[in-house]
Amino acid sequence: MDKLDRQIITELQMDFPISPDPYGIIADRLGIDTDILLDRVQALIGSGTIRRIGISVDSRKMGYSSTLAAVRVAPDSVESACEIIETYPEITHSYLRADEFNIWFTVIAISQQRVHEVLEELRVKLNIELSDVLDLPVKQLFKLDARFKPTK
Amino acid sequence: MVIALSEIERRLLAEIQHGMPASSTPYRDVAEKIGVDIDDVLEILNSWKKDGRMRRVGAIVNHFKVGLQAGAMVVWQVEEDRIEEVGKMMASFPEVSHAYERPSNDQWPFNVYTMVHGPGAEDVRDTIKKMSAKVGIKNYKQLETIRELKKVPPTYILTGDK
Repeated sequence: MDKLDRQIITELQMDFPISPDPYGIIADRLGIDTDILLDRVQALIGSGTIRRIGISVDSRKMGYSSTLAAVRVAPDSVESACEIIETYPEITHSYLRADEFNIWFTVIAISQQRVHEVLEELRVKLNIELSDVLDLPVKQLFKLDARFKPTK
Repeated sequence: MVIALSEIERRLLAEIQHGMPASSTPYRDVAEKIGVDIDDVLEILNSWKKDGRMRRVGAIVNHFKVGLQAGAMVVWQVEEDRIEEVGKMMASFPEVSHAYERPSNDQWPFNVYTMVHGPGAEDVRDTIKKMSAKVGIKNYKQLETIRELKKVPPTYILTGDK
């Protein structure tokens, strides 16, 4: 990755123009040819550096409910938990973490009721107690900005 | 206040929720796909941005591949009357991407959550120490990631195909 790639990544994360010709506008900002920009962007997507060009939605304002949850499962249940988590489109991120509450995941669903249903279904499928589930919805947002400055 | 989505808005959200086409004319291609004019697409996106339903359109990068190999979720136990002040101080760190207050309970006393990133594990640990010193809170726990189990964009509109 060279300096131009880093500039492109920074620029594309900031604000992708809502315009018929977004790449023309970005190319102008960077002072490069649109074709060069498009080639670079294709390569960055191809290498997986850019996961996608997409929208960042405020799910609550869009009318959805969400939570961060954690479950405490036995080490030999982790794989089956993974398989169950995979089947829920409402579960978007999940991590195995080094804690007694070892599986952490985010749930985004059409209603709070559906969020609770997902948690309850999981609990039953995993055969764990209510006390093995942490339901941690946001009470207050201080920062949400997953835009990263390339360092190399 | 939640504004219900119109039929066209639902079609648009379903089409772009997992990403836009990687073509030179993404909005035009999306408009064609859902059978509306490009101006409708641009107008809806601008209205979402204006009313806050959408933060922005932009690239979502893989932070591992831009030099931020290490990351940690850190949970903090903060006295009730300091939560706001501490949350704001945490948010001021450029290494912190997410900072939230979440409810605590008897078995889980932590109430402020932060995601911290850095080039290496040591950088992340250093940042966490700096955060701890700045806010004066020693009761915290770094929840190290052993493995990513799932990472997909949210599905707002179920479309049948996965």
